[in-house]
Amino acid sequence: MTPPGSEGGEPPRTAGAACGLPSPTLEPHREAELVQGLPGGPARWDPSDQLWVLSPEPRGWAGTVEQAAGTLPVRLASIWAEPDAGDGVILNAVLLARSPAHGIRVCSRLAPEARSLPSLAAVLPAATDFEREVAEEYAVEFTGTPDPRPLRAYAARTSGRRPASAPAAYPFPKVEGEGIHEIAVGPVHAGVIEPGHFRFQVVGEQVLDLEIQLGYTYKGTEALWVGQRPEDGLLWAESISGDHSVAGAVAYAQAVEAAQGLPVPAAAEAARGLLLEVERYAFHIGTVAGIALDVGYARGAAAGYRLRQRAHRCLDRLTGSRLGRGAVAVGGLRRPLTTAPAAVLVAELQSMSDGAIQIWEDLEAVASVVDRVRGTGEVSPAIARALQLVGPTGRASGIDHDVRRDRPYGIYRSWAVRVPTEARGDVEARLRLYALEAAEAGRLAARWVESASAAPGVGRIAPELRTEGAAHGLGVVESPRGEWLVRTVQDARGRLVRVHVREPSFLNWRALKYAARRAIVPDFPLCNKSFNLSYSGFDR
Amino acid sequence: MTDPAIAPERPSRRPVRARWWDRRPETLPYPRGPLPPPEGPPRVPAHDARRCDGQGACERACPTQAIRLVPERSGGRGELTLDYGRCVLCGLCIDACPTGAMTATSRIELATTDRADLQMVHPLGAGPGPVPAPSSLGPAVRTLVQERFQGSLAVRVVDAGSCNGCEVEVQALTWPTYDLERLGIHIVASPRHADALLVTGPVTRAMRHALIQTWVSMPRPRMVLAVGACGISGGPFRNSGEVLGGAASVVPVDVFVPGCPPRPEALLYGFWVALGKAEPRLSRGEYRGV
Repeated sequence: MTPPGSEGGEPPRTAGAACGLPSPTLEPHREAELVQGLPGGPARWDPSDQLWVLSPEPRGWAGTVEQAAGTLPVRLASIWAEPDAGDGVILNAVLLARSPAHGIRVCSRLAPEARSLPSLAAVLPAATDFEREVAEEYAVEFTGTPDPRPLRAYAARTSGRRPASAPAAYPFPKVEGEGIHEIAVGPVHAGVIEPGHFRFQVVGEQVLDLEIQLGYTYKGTEALWVGQRPEDGLLWAESISGDHSVAGAVAYAQAVEAAQGLPVPAAAEAARGLLLEVERYAFHIGTVAGIALDVGYARGAAAGYRLRQRAHRCLDRLTGSRLGRGAVAVGGLRRPLTTAPAAVLVAELQSMSDGAIQIWEDLEAVASVVDRVRGTGEVSPAIARALQLVGPTGRASGIDHDVRRDRPYGIYRSWAVRVPTEARGDVEARLRLYALEAAEAGRLAARWVESASAAPGVGRIAPELRTEGAAHGLGVVESPRGEWLVRTVQDARGRLVRVHVREPSFLNWRALKYAARRAIVPDFPLCNKSFNLSYSGFDR
Repeated sequence: MTDPAIAPERPSRRPVRARWWDRRPETLPYPRGPLPPPEGPPRVPAHDARRCDGQGACERACPTQAIRLVPERSGGRGELTLDYGRCVLCGLCIDACPTGAMTATSRIELATTDRADLQMVHPLGAGPGPVPAPSSLGPAVRTLVQERFQGSLAVRVVDAGSCNGCEVEVQALTWPTYDLERLGIHIVASPRHADALLVTGPVTRAMRHALIQTWVSMPRPRMVLAVGACGISGGPFRNSGEVLGGAASVVPVDVFVPGCPPRPEALLYGFWVALGKAEPRLSRGEYRGV
């Protein structure tokens, strides 16, 4: 454990770089050769998605994804189904590579009478929850799946939706033996947090297993987009996960812009970057403060929440909303940011950045804090790889991945973002990354104030820019919790027929189970806080 | 200061010293003191019927159907209803209005005790409508607050499916800036300890049962605060078949706190209204105050 560079001079030392995963880069021409060698070909290039597309038969879908993941340095980003022009559905898996390579989309059309295919989750554990969701929403059956239970069990039961293959009950795994008991928690928790149901198998204080059942905040958001004009859909993009309003809006806007071929002015890109980084700062420093609160270090918590308050005040000053809502538009910004006086804002952001480092130094010097966070809630790099974790949670377990650096978008194309990593995957590693990334976010935001000040309000899509005919797009953003992916599909009239949102929590929720297995019951809230996952983002 | 005997085996660095956060005052005087001036651009819509052209551009722009225009009929004036209980403060109505009748304000004290008070009804062509007497807390609730709680309130928070935006702001009440407990208001872990239930989110089908059970578990008398556009009306999700459309569809609500999400100051004002320490500023027809 090394103290971070002070005063933002030296880049923070990346303790995990030596033991983290290598991120092999692939030249585009080599990628093209490798893709053509995969089953389901010939691969065709999709200029809208900037991805290679393979279209195997449904029974070969899982095999193609597995082989692609084994052949190329790609990671599974999302799986979803979308209706096709007829009465079938198209099952998609997206595997993303690090720039300058692109990635692959594997899609198979499932006819209405043949919605059964081999499960990918049987060989790729990260696919499990995606398949459960597709099974629930589109009545697709994955044979050989390791987990046939509905993803949003209670919601599925109350609304009458249930996958054909799923059992009526939701069996929780039970550990049996002398002195082993079960603790059931939720959906209503003892705090100001979102609802979910947890079941711990416990002997004494030691957690043996944890099963998490979500779905309590399922609002059917994706269905609300259907039939809308793409430029009207930002409201729901901002409401997927409220503490990630800006990231959700930018990811959605990027997907629509890719579909429509819309350019975004450079100043608007800078303004989006500014908002994204202030939002990241607010989330990260709030997580640091939350961890301090959970270990009973009230002073650190108070200091952290004061910093978070300053970040929300910045967003308020810039946009009129403390969460930065209503600022982003498809094609740019809704209205110019009120950055004046710029010098004051720059000084404030820089001081916030310094404050993040100071808090980290303060926490690291308190033995009672270190005692609670060190070695608590470990997620090994092997598990992190298997579950394809994203964001600070993944980086704390050695996954050297950050969309801002690996698939740069907007203003990040012209800025090098420092990406610290850790290898130990415990609460301390995550805590350190939250603090360092908050400091980096404040630093980046301070640099972008000037260019963001020039951003004019763009408003709605000009009629002449609207693409006629069917189109689809993909938006990928590094939100505070990690990679956020949005897919939009619009029909010939320009109306949305499918929007798929994969919030980073969707991948990271599974890892909490493994972190808890090494913890004692009183340390679980600490593990949970260090992940700081979104229930609503998972359920939507 | 840490005891060297229990400190982890690592060289101790510089001692913890006073930093900037130990020196500057942080906590706002509100709601006992004045409302702090707005810092960002205003986002709360207000309607001036005298400038309205009655063409309904705002109604078409509103994504949550918070604006309803009843056009002029023979023998009767048209009227426009602006429902703060549905408004998500997106500002699309303000952008769409060609005559400047819809303007942005920085109103924060919008909480009411009557759902209908959140609906501003303006006869077109006239000035602001007649101001009825402001509604107040029912006598039972007022007695409850003043005699039994002695002005103090224990609050249980239930997220009935929100996007977690409201949770950010409710949590912010416990930060040093707002410091809810200085007002005698505590967020408690169990409904058995709670006087008031604060509900966020549009109430999903899956949370209906849990919300009812929480309410049933509370000692009587009890009150309910519905928070945010979702908690009042279902907000952006009100057209989804998966949600019931706000807390009032499941439990009786005493105080409505609009916003998307409501600012911490707006939540503090909501508590002040719940405690009978403030008369609601908003009542059918007009907003009395700044």
